[in-house]
Amino acid sequence: MSAAPIRESATGWYLYGVVPAGGEGPAAPAVDPSYEVVAIECGGVTGIASRVSLDEFDESTLPERLADAAWLERTIRAHEQVLEAALARTAVVPCRFCTVYRDEDHLRSFLAGHSNALAEALERLGGRVELGVKAFTAPEPRSTAGQAESGRAYLEARREEQRRREELAASRSRTAAELHGRLSSAAEDGVVLDLQSREASGRDEEMLFNGAYLVLERDRFERALDAIARERADLQLELTGPWPAYNFVPEELGRG
Amino acid sequence: MSRSLQHEVTLLELVDRVLNKGVVLSGDITLSVADVDLVYVGLRVLLSSVATLEEQAQLAAGGVPAR
Repeated sequence: MSAAPIRESATGWYLYGVVPAGGEGPAAPAVDPSYEVVAIECGGVTGIASRVSLDEFDESTLPERLADAAWLERTIRAHEQVLEAALARTAVVPCRFCTVYRDEDHLRSFLAGHSNALAEALERLGGRVELGVKAFTAPEPRSTAGQAESGRAYLEARREEQRRREELAASRSRTAAELHGRLSSAAEDGVVLDLQSREASGRDEEMLFNGAYLVLERDRFERALDAIARERADLQLELTGPWPAYNFVPEELGRG
Repeated sequence: MSRSLQHEVTLLELVDRVLNKGVVLSGDITLSVADVDLVYVGLRVLLSSVATLEEQAQLAAGGVPAR
C-alpha cells in the first residue's frame, strides 16, 4: 500500500482489473500520477487499483475531462499500460475505463461479492492471451459510369458497376468468414468485431475483417495466420496484442 | 504481414477495447453511454488535430499533404 495521501476525503479508488490472489501491483504509472498502483486482495482475488483525485474522476467532472483530448489519451494509455504490466505476469480480468469506487471499503465489498465469478473468469483466461487480427484489402475502384458517352452506355455502365459491387461484397464476406473459421480453429475462442473506417484505421486500404481471439498456443495461432498470409497475397494482415482479454470476459459480472 | 507492437497501437484501437469491452463493474462511478459518446467526440478532435499537424509539417517541408 502506498503512503496515505494528504487529502484523504477527496480521493476514490480506480479499479483497472482483477488478478488471482497473491498478485502484486504492477510498477506502471497510475491514471492519476500522484498515486501508486497497488494490489488489494479480498475474497480470494486481487484488485489492481490506485487512488484517484475525485476532482478529476467524480461523475460531475468526468464529462469535462473526457472532452479534453490530451487528458483522455494520457489516461486511457495509463489504464492499458497498468493492465499490460499485470498481464506480463498473470491472468487479468480487465475492467472498463473509469471504474471508480468512493472508498476502499466499497472496492473490497465489490471484490468479495463477486469473487466466485471473478475467479471463474480468471481460471478461463489462465495462460491465454487475446490477439487481434485485421485484414485489409485495396480500396474499391472509383465509378467510371459518369464518363459514358451516351445515356444507354451510362445505364449499362451503372448496371455493370452494381453487379461488380455485389460480387465484391459477397467475395469479401466469404473471405472474412474463411479467415474467422481458420483462425478460430487455432484458438480457444474468437469473436468478429466491427470494421473500422479508413479514417479510423489510418490506412489507405479498406478493412475487410476485424477479429479477436483467445489464444493458448501462440505458435499454432501464428502459423495459421502465416499460412493465410502466404495464400492470400491480396490481403494485408495485421496482428495486434497480446491484449488483456477485453473481448473474453463476462460483461454482466457487475449486475445483480 | 505487419505486426503491431502495443505502443504503436492507435488510440482508437485502444478506445474500442477499453471503453466498449471488459467487465462492466458496479463501480460507484462508471462511464455512462453519454460519457462514451463524449469520448468519441473528444477523440475526433484529437485525430483531426493530429492530421492537421501532419499536413502542416508536410507543407512546411515543401510537400503536398497525403490526403
